[in-house]
Amino acid sequence: MIKVSGLNAFYGQFHVLKDVSMTVEKNGVVVVLGPNGHGKSTLLKSICGLAERITGNILLNDTELTGLSSEKIVDLGVTYIAETRELFPNMTVLENLKLGAYCRRARPFEAENLEKVFDLFPRLADRKSQTASTMSGGEAKMLAIARGLMSNADFLAIDEPSLGLQPNLRTEVFNTIKTINEQGMTILLVEQNIPRIAELASHIYVLEEGKITFEGSKDDAVSNDHLKEIFLGM
Amino acid sequence: MFDENTILVFYEITDIIIAGLSNGSVYALMAIGMTLVYGVTKAFNFAYGDFFNMGGYFAWILIVGIGLEFGGYITVFLIVLPLLFAVGYGLETFMIAPLRKRPDWENRVMMLTLGLALFLSNLYMVLFGSRLKSLPPILEGILEIGQIVFSYQDIMIFVMSLGGILLFGWMLNNTRTGMAVRAVAQNPEGAKIVGINIKRIFASTFAISTVMVGFGGILLSQKMFINPTSGGAIMIKAWVITAFGGMGSIRGGLYAAFIIGMMEAFVGWIFGMSYTIIALFVLLLATLIIRPQGLMGKGA
Amino acid sequence: MKLKQMALIILAAYGILAVLPVFVGHTPYLMNILIMCLIWAVVASCWDVIMGFAGIFSFGQVSFFVMGAYCSAILAISHHVPPVFSIVIAGFFTAGMGVLVGLPCLKLAGPYVALVTFGVHMALQPLLKGEIGIALGSGGAAGLLSIPPIRLFGYTFGTDNMVPTFYLILLISLACALTIMGMIKSYWGMAFLALKDSQPFAASLGISAFKYKLMVFAVTSFLTGIIGAVYGHFYGVLSVRMLDLDLFSILMIMILAGGLGHFPGAIIGSFLVVAASEMMAPLGVYRAVTMGAMVVVLVLALPDGVMGLCRTADQPVPEGIEGAGFKKGWMATEF
Repeated sequence: MIKVSGLNAFYGQFHVLKDVSMTVEKNGVVVVLGPNGHGKSTLLKSICGLAERITGNILLNDTELTGLSSEKIVDLGVTYIAETRELFPNMTVLENLKLGAYCRRARPFEAENLEKVFDLFPRLADRKSQTASTMSGGEAKMLAIARGLMSNADFLAIDEPSLGLQPNLRTEVFNTIKTINEQGMTILLVEQNIPRIAELASHIYVLEEGKITFEGSKDDAVSNDHLKEIFLGM
Repeated sequence: MFDENTILVFYEITDIIIAGLSNGSVYALMAIGMTLVYGVTKAFNFAYGDFFNMGGYFAWILIVGIGLEFGGYITVFLIVLPLLFAVGYGLETFMIAPLRKRPDWENRVMMLTLGLALFLSNLYMVLFGSRLKSLPPILEGILEIGQIVFSYQDIMIFVMSLGGILLFGWMLNNTRTGMAVRAVAQNPEGAKIVGINIKRIFASTFAISTVMVGFGGILLSQKMFINPTSGGAIMIKAWVITAFGGMGSIRGGLYAAFIIGMMEAFVGWIFGMSYTIIALFVLLLATLIIRPQGLMGKGA
Repeated sequence: MKLKQMALIILAAYGILAVLPVFVGHTPYLMNILIMCLIWAVVASCWDVIMGFAGIFSFGQVSFFVMGAYCSAILAISHHVPPVFSIVIAGFFTAGMGVLVGLPCLKLAGPYVALVTFGVHMALQPLLKGEIGIALGSGGAAGLLSIPPIRLFGYTFGTDNMVPTFYLILLISLACALTIMGMIKSYWGMAFLALKDSQPFAASLGISAFKYKLMVFAVTSFLTGIIGAVYGHFYGVLSVRMLDLDLFSILMIMILAGGLGHFPGAIIGSFLVVAASEMMAPLGVYRAVTMGAMVVVLVLALPDGVMGLCRTADQPVPEGIEGAGFKKGWMATEF
């Protein structure tokens, strides 16, 4: 379980997150919606120790995450999957995946996780020795998710998994996320794509201008007029 | 068939080629160390050449200063290389890492390392005097193949530097730390995401490059003198080779090192040694104008 | 910093210097130090403008200084050009060299520029010492020994009459400083600030990085060449030893002490450092070691030099153009 309370994040002169509090229950899928540039990615990065400067509290079970370096947080089982993928472009798929298991926590399970990941994404198994930079957008996205899974995490923070994908690939990615969740993974996901994502979510937050403006179940979200207005233009 | 003069010139040329090869192999070591540190940490180290001399002086202290007998050069390597590693690691951790927070840190690192270069070269001058020092050859004797004479020293220098490069290349591709170093070079943000401690990789990379150039210093100082003020020229040489070979390309650096080793030997033979730096500079300008990404570089 | 503030600091610094000969005018040793202050202030400021203001990491300033000095001296000795003219010619010659070095450099990334300009520096010494230099009249390794002093209206400005020479050089140095100030505060200067913030943004305003950088290279090398020529005619002696890293490091310390990119910090920095360097003379062989260490310490401990210490409250911390991503659209339209 992750419990965020009173989180503030700064980027240069900008105050990006203002007093954000939220909870992600174990084995849940929490979706954070919000317009671009309102702090969604920063929220995920703050949890994973990748933000520039933060104040407040982030508790993973009983461990305080604020102030820890990203490598310690990965070792605690919290992994970030970037919207921009952040792969290692001149390495092969296999090397990228092996580096996904770089943290001490994942090393003993490297072979096991590799098998699991190839089951989940058979296409990656076919392209094991292909260089990452030559992959298509959809495959690269899968590789990014697969690399995240290699870290043997309990908690995944996934940043806009559907961004820039064709509809059929998007469905594939969502199904994968669903499968991962069913296997016991806790997921915090950031998205703009509300109708699809609502099927996955156990809980929804809306982040606008760095503040949480809505919190509730997916039914609450769908029936909320304000949300309809901003996300669907109705 | 040939008159005596032609034969003499032929021997001279083979000597120059051998010198070019053994110097070139050390240059390759230096260039790869530089490509590595710039490719991974993006810090430009102006004191690079002074670490070359540091290797030479450390070895000189052990062999000539203390008169170490036991184990010869093996002991020297076992003592000096870890020492150089520590120096490089400390430098990155305590001096360069704090600067990274500033937006113009790259320029400040250049200034800092330039200051360090001045400090070190003048320190060498104070400690060892301006008289040039030299190291005994790692292996004495010569090898004759037909009419051509190789000194064992040249052969050892060639073998050891190439061995060092191969070992380094193997580690980069096959060890966990080597993979992490490549990962940081390709995508530091991605490296952080997978849980690589990039500060430690920066420091290790800096340390490894210091070891490589210092190792080169120990090897080459057996043939040439250790000159306290030569650091700048050595740094420039390593950098020209790196730029010529292509930034970030280890293979390019390897080829470039041998080409430049040869070029230098021939320019020195034809025009005199003081023109080698001018030749290097002309080559650098030509590279930057004609093919800025270097021989094997991938471009911007 | 505001124009008025900048002008005040410059005038105050030069004003204090201008009064000093009243007290020390009869001591040639001290007058010599004062003149050095004036000369290094110009070189350090030019270098600071290139590195700190224009953001070009050039290490060629000392070589431009030496080029100007040698050019003017060779013209005066071998071709009997009166120093007043040879100094101006040297200025234009150095500006030309600056453009020549700048042309290949300015399209390159930082460390390459540093390397090429440092390469110019390193290659100049063997060039001047070697046959090519001797053919040009550089005097080889021995250097030039009898450079005629500046003569103006039948009056000779040399080491024999320090006080008038001091005031002449003061005027030249002040003119250089004011030129630099004008450059920073002009439309050009604004263009540079835009370039430093964001090159793409500046390009969208029609500001060509290349053109402005080349212009700054030309102007600063012109000023450096002029002051180098003045140095040569004042001292009467030149040698390639100037290209040793000693001078190079002192100039760098001046810039760092004043605050990189905080003109007129470099002027104050050079006044302070010339004085400090004289005080360090008793250190003997350890002096150069200390200076190297000083560069390291200054970079680490005093990133904005003395100008950083007296940063006034009315200077807001510059705001970046790149924000936290607020520049993106409100909402992706695809579903």
